[in-house]
Amino acid sequence: MEPERNTRMNWSGWLSLQTSVFGLILFVCIVVWALTGGTFWPIWVAMGLALPIALQLSIREALKAPRRWRALAVQGAFSGVIVGLNVFIWALTGGAFWPIWTVLGFGLALALHAIILTRVPVRERELVERVDVLTRTRRGALDVQAAELRRIERDLHDGAQARLVALSMKLGRAEGRLDEHPEIAELVRGAREDASAAIGELRDLARGIAPPVLADRGLEAAVDSLGRRSAIDVTLSSRITRRPPPVVETAAYFVVAESLTNVAKHAPDATAHVTLAEEPGTLVIEISDNGPGGAKPEGGGLSGLRQRVQALDGTLAVVSNPGEGTVIRAELPCE
Amino acid sequence: MRVVIAEDQALLREGIVALLREQHIDVVAQAEDGEGLLRIVGGHKPDLAIVDVRLPPTFTDEGIRAAMQARSQFPGLGVLILSQYVEPVYTAELLDSDGEGGVGYLLKERVGDVKGFVASVRRVADGGTALDREVVKELVRNRHTGDEGALGSLTPREHEVLALMAEGRTNAAIARAMVVTPGAVEKHISNIFGKLDLPATDDDHRRVLAVLTFLRASG
Repeated sequence: MEPERNTRMNWSGWLSLQTSVFGLILFVCIVVWALTGGTFWPIWVAMGLALPIALQLSIREALKAPRRWRALAVQGAFSGVIVGLNVFIWALTGGAFWPIWTVLGFGLALALHAIILTRVPVRERELVERVDVLTRTRRGALDVQAAELRRIERDLHDGAQARLVALSMKLGRAEGRLDEHPEIAELVRGAREDASAAIGELRDLARGIAPPVLADRGLEAAVDSLGRRSAIDVTLSSRITRRPPPVVETAAYFVVAESLTNVAKHAPDATAHVTLAEEPGTLVIEISDNGPGGAKPEGGGLSGLRQRVQALDGTLAVVSNPGEGTVIRAELPCE
Repeated sequence: MRVVIAEDQALLREGIVALLREQHIDVVAQAEDGEGLLRIVGGHKPDLAIVDVRLPPTFTDEGIRAAMQARSQFPGLGVLILSQYVEPVYTAELLDSDGEGGVGYLLKERVGDVKGFVASVRRVADGGTALDREVVKELVRNRHTGDEGALGSLTPREHEVLALMAEGRTNAAIARAMVVTPGAVEKHISNIFGKLDLPATDDDHRRVLAVLTFLRASG
């Protein structure tokens, strides 16, 4: 707040300085006129000196208008001063009321400006900037999240899973030495099986975050792996040369995974073809099958995929006419 | 039997070493990364290398790459991969890799089943296969559709026998698992050998070939 008060004080100081200098000049002119006589020409000097002050004052007032109307107010203030000036000149010189043209001209411009402002009611540029910032920060957050999830996956692998494996190993060794105590051996075997189950659950959890092969080898290998795991026959054609950012890679992977699961569920006799392609700034993933078609685009799995894709400003299109198979196409921007 | 081991996590490495020594299997050297594996395999000429998939420096698939390199470089070396997860891409690469020695791919928690694990270790060292049942399950699931070639002519029952063979089970174990007599298993197996056109030479070798045909077909 302090600096603002300062500028205000400076402004009023500056204004009074101008006023006093102009007053002095005007006074000298009047004295000269009084000594020399003739028409009262200092009126023109007064007009010339008043003009900048009038402009400054009115524009300054106009700038106080709400942001949305500020440009219009400044234009109005400027027009008002110029019209006033014209009327003043006309009053001094007489003749037909020519300032009407100025009034009409400026009035028209103001009206146009006002119409444009009301037709485009949003602070468009502000919104554009805001969207820009949000896009960047959201993408940043998603990137951080993807990196964080991969770290968690690695931590699970190196930490909890490794310890459970070591535990199950020790239990196994203990079990081997309990031949003479079968009931204790049975207990130890139960404990070992529990440890194995826990390892299995951790493995499923880690795979749900990001399958290791995706982090290790990239999208193409991970999709290849999905095809091998799938209950249906899957062919793959890939034309990607560099690795997209992890967050895009993961989204692309889950698009393929979910789509293939859907095909296997609804068209177990179909075969599917996966295409991965790079277009400038975009990763394109297409999964087509020769099943019966007729998939609902808003079906459970698909709407989840759409959300995942839209979070990255991508698009997901589903074409599934009955009898023509299904094509799912996702486009993911990657800079 | 002489074994080397490449595993970066000391906890697991030492556990496996202790377990194998208790079973009178000689662990002659240990490594913590892929380069180290190649070095100790070259230096000690072991029968078998037990390798973790994820090794430094990349912590991705370093282990499997190093293991495949070692397998092609040192004829007769068996390679047993230990992994925290099943990955068909890796098992397929492993089975397709050059080399004459045995191959195995087991989930790490199988180490806890000491008897089973030691049997797998011995089998792979002797040139056989030991595929985790999870690996086989994924591969078998894929085989139910789009059968082609010789494998397509197998009956579901023969498929089942072949899958159990891929896990490395003996005829007696397969018979128990399928609740049939060992004689019935032998009959299935000879049918499989016939359909896959495997010459009647050494039985063990044919067994490996049948399994490899089966597994490669799923790749």
